[in-house]
Amino acid sequence: MSTPRALRQGLALRVSSASFLAFWCVMAAFPIFWIAVMSFKVPIDAFASNPFDVIFGPTTRAAGKGLSLFDIVAGAALLALTWYVATWHVARLAGALAIDGSQALGWVLAAAIFVAGTLAAFGFVLPAILSVIDPLLGPLGRPLIGLTMEHYQAVWFDNQFYRNFFNSLIVTAGVVTISLSVGTLAGYALARSGSSLAFWLLIIALVFRALPHSVLVTGYLPPFINSAEILRPIFGDAAPTLYGKPWAVIMVLVSINQPFTIWMLRSFFMNIPAELDEAARVDGCSHFEAFRRVIMPVMWPGVITTGLFSFLLAYNDYLVTALLLDAQNQTMVPAITGYFNRETTTTDQVEAVAAAVSITAPLFVLVMVFQRQIVSGLTAGAVKG
Amino acid sequence: MPLKTLALAGAFSLLATGAYAGCAYQNETPLKSLTAGFEAWKAVTDAMIECGNFEPELDQEFRTKQPAAFAATPSLYQIGGVSNGTITPLVNEGTIRALDDLVEMHGQQLRPNQLIRIDGSVMAVAMMVNTQHLQYREDILSDLGIAVPTTWDEVLTAAETIQAAGMVDYPIGATMKAGWNIAQDFVNMYLGFGGQFVNDDNTPAVNSEAGAKALEMMDKLTAYMDPEYLTSDSTYVQQQFQQGKIAISNLWASRAAAMDDPNESQVVGKVASAAAPTAMEGGPPATTLWWDGIVIAANISDEEAEAAFRLAMEGLDTEMVTAANDEAIWLVEGYQPGRLAEGAIATATASPSPAAYPSTTQMGLMHTALGNNLPDFFTGTKSAEETLASVEAEYLTAAREAGLVQ
Amino acid sequence: MRFKTFAAFVAPSLFLMVLFIAAPLISVLWQSFYLTQQVFESVEVETCTPGFVEQNCVTEIKSRPVIGEDGKVVTETSFVGLESYRNLLQPAQTVAALAQGSLAELLKIDFWKALRFTLTFTLITLPLVIVVGLCIALAVNNAVRSIRGPVIFISLLPFIITPVIGALSIRWLFVGDGILTAAMEWYTGRDIAMFAQGWTIEILMLFYRVWHVAPFTFVIFYAGLQTVNQDTLESAIIDGASRFERLRFVVIPHLMPLIVFVALIHLMDAYRVFEEVVGFRSEAHVISLQYLTFDLLTPDDSGNRSISRASANSMLTMIGIVFLLIPLLMRTWRDHRGKAR
Repeated sequence: MSTPRALRQGLALRVSSASFLAFWCVMAAFPIFWIAVMSFKVPIDAFASNPFDVIFGPTTRAAGKGLSLFDIVAGAALLALTWYVATWHVARLAGALAIDGSQALGWVLAAAIFVAGTLAAFGFVLPAILSVIDPLLGPLGRPLIGLTMEHYQAVWFDNQFYRNFFNSLIVTAGVVTISLSVGTLAGYALARSGSSLAFWLLIIALVFRALPHSVLVTGYLPPFINSAEILRPIFGDAAPTLYGKPWAVIMVLVSINQPFTIWMLRSFFMNIPAELDEAARVDGCSHFEAFRRVIMPVMWPGVITTGLFSFLLAYNDYLVTALLLDAQNQTMVPAITGYFNRETTTTDQVEAVAAAVSITAPLFVLVMVFQRQIVSGLTAGAVKG
Repeated sequence: MPLKTLALAGAFSLLATGAYAGCAYQNETPLKSLTAGFEAWKAVTDAMIECGNFEPELDQEFRTKQPAAFAATPSLYQIGGVSNGTITPLVNEGTIRALDDLVEMHGQQLRPNQLIRIDGSVMAVAMMVNTQHLQYREDILSDLGIAVPTTWDEVLTAAETIQAAGMVDYPIGATMKAGWNIAQDFVNMYLGFGGQFVNDDNTPAVNSEAGAKALEMMDKLTAYMDPEYLTSDSTYVQQQFQQGKIAISNLWASRAAAMDDPNESQVVGKVASAAAPTAMEGGPPATTLWWDGIVIAANISDEEAEAAFRLAMEGLDTEMVTAANDEAIWLVEGYQPGRLAEGAIATATASPSPAAYPSTTQMGLMHTALGNNLPDFFTGTKSAEETLASVEAEYLTAAREAGLVQ
Repeated sequence: MRFKTFAAFVAPSLFLMVLFIAAPLISVLWQSFYLTQQVFESVEVETCTPGFVEQNCVTEIKSRPVIGEDGKVVTETSFVGLESYRNLLQPAQTVAALAQGSLAELLKIDFWKALRFTLTFTLITLPLVIVVGLCIALAVNNAVRSIRGPVIFISLLPFIITPVIGALSIRWLFVGDGILTAAMEWYTGRDIAMFAQGWTIEILMLFYRVWHVAPFTFVIFYAGLQTVNQDTLESAIIDGASRFERLRFVVIPHLMPLIVFVALIHLMDAYRVFEEVVGFRSEAHVISLQYLTFDLLTPDDSGNRSISRASANSMLTMIGIVFLLIPLLMRTWRDHRGKAR
């Protein structure tokens, strides 16, 4: 496809557009890159005032921990390979794994396989290969940049961060599933009903979304702690204490997230022609059957995009999870801020940085895999407002 | 290498579940604790875990959770960690029990000094003390021939000399982050000047001569500080010390040990400590004494309470202290004060001695009012008198709402 | 769609929102008009606390809450009308400050100080977020197809990163002699402290918010650009429209519903700005409305919290956001009327 002559751009425009983009990319990536660099250094290097000390880590290197030139090249190559697999093959894998046409399951499986593969490649395979090759290379294999995994080890093994990781996984998975199931039903009804009631529901949902969370959350704490007492008249001795229960937190997060979810999904459904389900209704389907047979197969782009936003909300939440979960069920974000709020030493801070990088890694993978779907989902949906 | 670690981690967890090493008995009652999250608590709860059936919760939100969780029936936690500040709501609401009988049964190794008595009965068992005291760069002071300052006026002169010599970026560091920290610094200085926070009828009394003097002294000190002092908490001050950017600070005792950590600090062995400086002639060191310790919930069965207390005693034994000697200024038998603990001990044993932090309902309100309003003085928005007046105004509003003042 | 079917579809979602949002909201409204107090008595108490070697015992008169027969603290709840609102707004001082015509005096009252910052923050970031997002979207749309994937990925990073961690990472770049502060000092040859005065902190907070949200607006706009009608564009070219005119008269109108959507979301999020205040430690200089609520609700060591004032403050915050949203809601209403049937 050749661009029409009139649409072709002048050099000045092209250069300024490209340099703006380059500038933006540096700005977007730099802070994250920087904390990633810090997390691999001993505290003296990580908080050094000279930026080159932070990058090259002389103290870390002096301790005999580092990366050689060859390691860096190998790492970069593996990174490029990961990118390639993420963008091209995961979607195909998801299609292959989709059982009974259930796309969501396929995606979840494919993403899980990809994450496990990436972790294994970077965490075990690459270091193992490099530790064999490096000594053979002479000067190319000598450490150039100081790098240590000790903080990651401290975080994941000594401080049992994997427990927080699993808790995060449970909460996030729960929020995304319930949010979407409840939200698609409501979003569909709101899109198909032109009544004023539907409109006012939407407006009230918007106002709910505008509420400051700190008010809601502190309101939950006393009833959550005393729920066993409060609910005893109804449930008898089976009355649960809601405080510290992941499913209670899941329900709270789902509710807080409902306004945004139904707004997004409603606009997706608005773009699915009403004739589709009307035709099904003429064929004798009930509304629910029409929804299940006609709408569900075509709604996935919108659902995936909305699901990603739910994922981000649940995964990144601090206020709700910090207050309503106990230590056994603590998720990652409060666990990380815990490093900062308690009497922290400088080592604790670098460990917190390592934990912060760890928590960002799954998000990286997620966006890598779903980046196309986000854009196509949005294109299919919200565009018409 | 990660593989090896995994294997090691697995081996350790096997060890931990297999044998109750380091614990004299095996605990059969399921118990939970809610405490703050700093290193000393970690050491204590780790020692308690060895006895089995125990889940510690080291939580940064414990201040919010503790009063509510202990008021539930039954209490969600059997063991609580408190300081002289945070014990107040628990005592006020009657959600922790008197420990006299339990101390008699299981607390033989406790020193009398550890038993926190309120109205005659033991309500808590203290494990450590903490206080803000002078930490300074010994090498810089001796190079410049400065004697260790014993009053805040001497600190000012020393700072002047250090600044003139240009040996560090900023001579003084202080925990003056807006909010709790700056209020605490003011409380120290104000008590040093002999101030009193509230009158007998609960009305505020900080807009006084001592208040003005305390603010004036703090203001003079800020001239020698990093200009970002209104955002610096103890972690930041500690880090500035470690990086050799400051020379003198009135810093928490629990922060001292990190100065000698070779992984973090560039000034290993160069930092020494002394008693907190006095604010006026013949006065006490301008600081407050704090303690941390354990309490047992009231809303649980006596059997649970006994098991909880017994377990807590296991956590506060000599063995734990030997293993974590430098994490705190322990009160437990077997503690060997290190080089960096000298200042804290000199402060606590000074004569006249500094007051314990006066923890009352009124003081809680006053601390908040101070923390919110004092920054206005340092940013230049308000004069000293105006600032203290608005502290009093905010305190009065809050005290009226709480029902303390009619 | 019949009402019954509609109700069945909406019910689960509505139930959750009523239980976890509406119900707490009503209790907040109620609490803002009532005051719950403990009943205090004065008693003489001897307290013994440890020194390093020996205990210090102090006997003093303390105010202690009365504990009732049931073992709980006795409390009294009374209707106080607008008292909590008055404590917050301080009408006397406000009128005095206004009479003097002094803004500085007015901003010494916490609520107005918080409102001032919240409003400036919201209204400054709004256009920035939209413009920056649009620029990135246009630039990406302009870029060679093969690099679009990686560029979109990098652009989304500031949005997906956990907010607390994003704020911290930016803080580290600037605090003390952080590398970017050091770079600016090197460039200007002056000693710079970004966290020493209010306006620099405010700039950092604005910068952080734009950095964090621009990717979201970008991706929405970028999706919108994919559906710009090529025929309209081409006929505009034939009519001799310049590049800017095409942007102004074809692309922007096409994106208008998206701009409204993004503005709506951003107004709501920016108006409850909170993480920035904590993350950048700006409490000494600027505070926001939600921070004020949070601060009033955070118990001090003795467990006191001002629930009534916090409730009043959050009601005022809500009223403020509804006012800001009205113009956008009117537009949505017109669209809705237009679309129905």
